Amino acid sequence: MSVSKKVLALAVGMVTALSVALVGCSPAAPSSSSSGSSATSGAATPAAQLNLVKPGTLTVGSDCDYPPFIALEGSTPVGFEYEMMEAIAAVVGLEVEYLPPQNFDSILASVAAGTKMDVGVSSFTITSERKELVDFTLSYFDSNQAVVALKSKGYTSAMDLNGKVVGSQSGTTGSDWVNENLKAPGTVLKEFNQTSEALAAMMAGDIEAVFFDEPVAAEQVKTTYTDAEIVESIATGELYGIAVSKTNTSLREQLDAALSIIKADGTFDKIFLKYFPDLTPPTLKAA
Amino acid sequence: MAVIAVLALVVSLTTPPQQAAGLTVEKATAKSNQQDGNEVIGGQPTRVTWEGRVAADEQISMLTLTFPEGTSLAEGASAKATVLDGLVRLEAVQDVQLDIQQAVITFEQPVASGLLLRVEIYNIALPAADGDYSIGGNYRNTTGEVVALTPSPPIAVISMTTVKAITLWLDDQPWVQSWNSVLFLRIFFNPQLIVASVPNLFDGWLHSLGLVLVGFPLAIPIGLGVSFLRMARLRIVRFISSIYVNIIRGTPLFLQIYIAFFGLPFLGISIDSYLLGILVLAMNSSAYLAEIFRAGIQSIHKGQFEASSSLGMNAVQTMFSVIIPQTVRRVIPTATSEFILLYKDTSLLAAVGVMEQMMFAKSMVASTGNMTPYIVAAGYYLLVTLPLTKIIASFERRLAAAEGSSTAPSSSKKRRRRLFAKPASDAPSEGVDADANPS
Repeated sequence: MSVSKKVLALAVGMVTALSVALVGCSPAAPSSSSSGSSATSGAATPAAQLNLVKPGTLTVGSDCDYPPFIALEGSTPVGFEYEMMEAIAAVVGLEVEYLPPQNFDSILASVAAGTKMDVGVSSFTITSERKELVDFTLSYFDSNQAVVALKSKGYTSAMDLNGKVVGSQSGTTGSDWVNENLKAPGTVLKEFNQTSEALAAMMAGDIEAVFFDEPVAAEQVKTTYTDAEIVESIATGELYGIAVSKTNTSLREQLDAALSIIKADGTFDKIFLKYFPDLTPPTLKAA
Repeated sequence: MAVIAVLALVVSLTTPPQQAAGLTVEKATAKSNQQDGNEVIGGQPTRVTWEGRVAADEQISMLTLTFPEGTSLAEGASAKATVLDGLVRLEAVQDVQLDIQQAVITFEQPVASGLLLRVEIYNIALPAADGDYSIGGNYRNTTGEVVALTPSPPIAVISMTTVKAITLWLDDQPWVQSWNSVLFLRIFFNPQLIVASVPNLFDGWLHSLGLVLVGFPLAIPIGLGVSFLRMARLRIVRFISSIYVNIIRGTPLFLQIYIAFFGLPFLGISIDSYLLGILVLAMNSSAYLAEIFRAGIQSIHKGQFEASSSLGMNAVQTMFSVIIPQTVRRVIPTATSEFILLYKDTSLLAAVGVMEQMMFAKSMVASTGNMTPYIVAAGYYLLVTLPLTKIIASFERRLAAAEGSSTAPSSSKKRRRRLFAKPASDAPSEGVDADANPS
């Protein structure tokens, strides 16, 4: 079982590397499947008329530090969200360009301003608060929260961390969960720019535990932070969406249409199962 | 399954026993609506989250949550219900109705036992008076029976704070509204957020000052010691101390912080992060100070040493009675510059989770999506650095007047980060410049 998983993981990695090598991240590289897109693209606004930061290119802001959704291999992004965006952009007839890693807590403000990036794709949970700032596409992933701590600490539930020094990535729903639920005196939440920095601080003993999204936690404790474990998965039923400026409705409609198309033709599920072989591909939901 | 068991255990330990309840109320929380803290202010919009788990042998078709008396709904209020089977989201909610007293959730299919019901009510304002408030309500099961819910664990609500009162008053002012209608002003100089940031960031300011006020004095004796080693007679001592100085000055402080914070724990050394921050700052600054002191000492004319020894003074007496007193005046401007640099560099510690000014500002920016807290933080930094640069300038003027241009201090050690231009009259002859004075 574990051997076959390893082989699969290796295969996934190789396919990713290959596709990245073929497609690249530079605007000059041709879109991966633009040949197939013209047939399927039936949306209202032609790509050429979309109001984009860089014409013909979908400029994406992400923290690039949230495997298996997004990570950097060298300087090229890899992961589920990257491949999904490639597929979406191919349908719309655009190139995808990822900006260098952004601070998660500033991405939505940048999307709202609309001068630096067109979309924010960084495992954004669709929340009422965020919807006041930006619009979201249909949701493409069902997520939850998790608490990760060193195995040696022996924590058994999230509430064990009440009154402790814990960490999270600044601006995330994990931060919100801690602030809202851990109210015991002595609780300190240290917020980091990147989740990996919070995890490093946990390994260093500076913080007791890190609160972040469950799918990422599952991946991190399996691959990188093997001395750590998921203390508790917290069912929050969060939905991820692509953040788009409120002033760019036509882009959001195009992305929604493209998401529906890649969902219908199986591309989405194929990418999904490549990264999450144990999960059921979600239906696209308006949240 | 194990997770559910653990959760159930936790719940059974933390909530009062509920006999025959078909729906166990697990929690009710509210998101903080305080920009400068983590409390829930009554009478102001917040987001309430309620969770309940369906008990064995129960099927729920409708859920009603009732709010405490005095609750109101702000503009854009909405409710959202989610049904979760473990971590899997089920599409079971048919309709959510929200009014000022209650939220009523109906389900497409009866919600079976073991499932978690999660209800979020957005832009709801809990009663304005401070106190603990519970969410009550009832549910209807498939047999049509209506069962009352046990009151949720209480949500602690505080009454209006001064800061919140001022920001609300500002919200209503026409000049604030027209000010904020300009994007740039709203994003960088938001009046409401200035009011909220100033008291909140004051704590951060004290933390940053604490770091540098302990770290810098600690760096002075280390720096002086290293400067002596740099001028030692033994070549090997000079060599070793120069390695120390060059490595520390040749690598970024940011990198040193990372090595200390993430490296030491692997050696089993666990130091409080605030203390470790002070130590790294002190170590870094000591290397720069060592060069400042060395240059200061070496700038004292050779004749002073000769005169002292002709008076019968030994090397230690010469150093402490003759040379260092003269050096102090000369190094004060550059050492003060170093203090300013170190003070600003405390901000780097935010990256490793030390609570200081940047960290406070960052978390406010993250929760408000506005840059104003950074501007206020800038103000706090300037509150220290501007008076100090003034002081340095006057020191340098006095020094130049007292000693003439030949010994006036020239540049500080970090040229590209110098705070002010070198005066034109300042001859670059025999200055205190460390790099220009190889040992």
